[in-house]
Amino acid sequence: MQSYLVWTSLLTLSLLTVNQAESQTTATPLTLITTERQALLPTVIIDGERMVALSDLATPFGLAFASDQQTSRLTIIQGETVFVLTADDGIVSVGGRLVSLPTPPVERDGAWFVPIDFIGQALALIPNQRVELRRRSELVVVGDVLVPQVVARYNRDGSQSRLRIVITPTSEYDLELADNRLILTLEADALDLVVPEFVPDGKLTELHQDEDRPRLTLDLGEDFGRYTASDNPALGGGTELIIDLHTAELANSANSSPSSDTESPAEAAVTETDLPSLSILSAPPSIRAIAIDPGHGGEDTGTRGPGGALEKDITLSVARLLQGAIERQLGLRVVLTRTGDTTIALDERAAFANNNRADLFISLHVNASVRETATGAEVFHLSLNEYDEASPGSFGLSSQPISVVGGGSRSLDIVPWELAQLRFADQSARWAEILSDELSRRVPMSQRGLQQAPFRVLVGTNMPAALIEMGYISNPVQETQLSSNAFQSNVVQGLIRSIVRYREEVERGVQPPIRNLNSPAENSQTRSVVR
Amino acid sequence: MNRPYWLYSLIGVTAFIAGWIMFAELPAGRPPSSGELAVGGTTTNQVTNDGLTEATLFYTSDDGMRLVGFSSEIERLPEPTAQARAILEAQLAQPPAPLLSPIPAGTRLLAIYVTERGDAFVDLSEEITTGHSGGSLDELFTVYAIVNALTSNLSAINAVQILVSGREVDTLAGHVDLRRPLEADLSWVAQPIAKSILQFNHYSKSAKTRSV
Repeated sequence: MQSYLVWTSLLTLSLLTVNQAESQTTATPLTLITTERQALLPTVIIDGERMVALSDLATPFGLAFASDQQTSRLTIIQGETVFVLTADDGIVSVGGRLVSLPTPPVERDGAWFVPIDFIGQALALIPNQRVELRRRSELVVVGDVLVPQVVARYNRDGSQSRLRIVITPTSEYDLELADNRLILTLEADALDLVVPEFVPDGKLTELHQDEDRPRLTLDLGEDFGRYTASDNPALGGGTELIIDLHTAELANSANSSPSSDTESPAEAAVTETDLPSLSILSAPPSIRAIAIDPGHGGEDTGTRGPGGALEKDITLSVARLLQGAIERQLGLRVVLTRTGDTTIALDERAAFANNNRADLFISLHVNASVRETATGAEVFHLSLNEYDEASPGSFGLSSQPISVVGGGSRSLDIVPWELAQLRFADQSARWAEILSDELSRRVPMSQRGLQQAPFRVLVGTNMPAALIEMGYISNPVQETQLSSNAFQSNVVQGLIRSIVRYREEVERGVQPPIRNLNSPAENSQTRSVVR
Repeated sequence: MNRPYWLYSLIGVTAFIAGWIMFAELPAGRPPSSGELAVGGTTTNQVTNDGLTEATLFYTSDDGMRLVGFSSEIERLPEPTAQARAILEAQLAQPPAPLLSPIPAGTRLLAIYVTERGDAFVDLSEEITTGHSGGSLDELFTVYAIVNALTSNLSAINAVQILVSGREVDTLAGHVDLRRPLEADLSWVAQPIAKSILQFNHYSKSAKTRSV
């Protein structure tokens, strides 16, 4: 058995080193961190998808291969775990468990490539071995290594320059000033560093990570005089280290005062200008919770097919499949607006999603037409024409001051319930576009694949939202499809892939901003709530 | 399948020629320009010399994917609300085959009220919800056939709110927001609008194609 494994792996590896097809371009490599070493893991872009060659995963993960040219199938063996991949099929079997990849593996001249999510979704299932793909920092963490996430945000507010560093999980650290540099060294094997939107100034010119050590170096500028630092438990676990950078003049005056200190962070009375902007208190933007709305239900059966299939049953079935798939594959929180055959009002559905702080809203429906020939899926997002005249003024949109803990006040936009979705118009358009694109790769679409309409369930949602009509139940062929596991799984795969794509865009910060309905100038101290 | 296309094209070609000769400057199907209220409350529609007027009515296309506008002849009436009622009665009437109405059969017009600012409130019988297929696209077609039939034919009407059995409703079948008057939306209508001419008898609700 052992010799067979060695033989097949050698054979396959030799095959894998054969030249690769031309339609791929090299992408930035991932960094692989194991207990023994750190190495670069090359990635390539094939058909728009970032992929990694299986041959590059063989050594770090101890994989052995046996490929079957006849069936375009590849068997991978890792210890007791057997993976079965099929070229151009997004479903991978891992020890008998089916895992769905965002795109299928690709076989090019005997070399196999898998989307990088294969690492986080399939290899992560190898028992007794920790495997994590950290997309934001491009890290692959394997085994018992300590790689804390370090999120550093630098914020200037008036005369104050404050660097907030959240270290998760909590790790011992050492902060040292030397040679016009502040050096933060952590007790860890490596750092998973995230620095969103760093804008240098006279006090802090650069912020960089040492390549070979778990160390963060802050290059200080000419205006820097002294610093104060403190740490506290962070809101979501971990430690928050606050480093305030002061100018040289302030340093002098501080030195002259009897109570000079270097450790206490915020000694002065808290005024509004001292308050950190709300944006830096919140977690980095991502998608953490999904609201799924199975259309209709209870007394409201929705549409009915010629064979008797009911829309409310199909939407609930797909919603449950989708919930399981999201939780299993993406690890996100999922809320369903109904979990059984119950009647729920449209506004309650939106309110439920809002109250559960969902980041994305998907309403699942099945279409019907008076014409039996109508077929195909459609994706809708809210049209704005019907609500445009409901301009902020006419709806009493107002900005109201509220007191905050520690004194001072902030203004809050009060957005009427009816207009909640308008702020997300641009994001919902993008969300619907991605949904339509991903669905079109897996299920038949109608000629009207992507549309806008004044749909009631979307109006009150306080997040990017779209409604999906999965197909026409009035068409006998589609009625059978819609009720089948295979079709429902295809829809679910399309939605999973859409969520992954949308989340990537959110994390990369390329999403269109939320619309400010109150005034054209965005106020960083303004938050919006739904009344 | 062949017959409807054959019929449509024949009707279309003859009607286009007739339309060209008779109403060359008539932009049928476009929203009326505001401020010009002709006798009888119609503006975009040519008044014919036999007490009839032209109105665009909307039906479900052959593939079920869009609305199709048809120029139809209806009774000319001097008062805008009465004219609106006549147009709606014609829109609610079952059209001749192969046309298919986007409005559930049996739906009756209970009342219509037009405000000074041009909002029409159309009260329809419950068949419009109980008889509906429940499809979201069909629901859009039902709503916009009614909204477009009034707004594109009568300059006195800017927006339409649908009521059912005298009550405001959230939606007809669970999708389209009906809580406020809706303006015309011709994006659901196939372009160009077919210029077939149907003659509706307002009282008997029967229709026949007009011989040209």
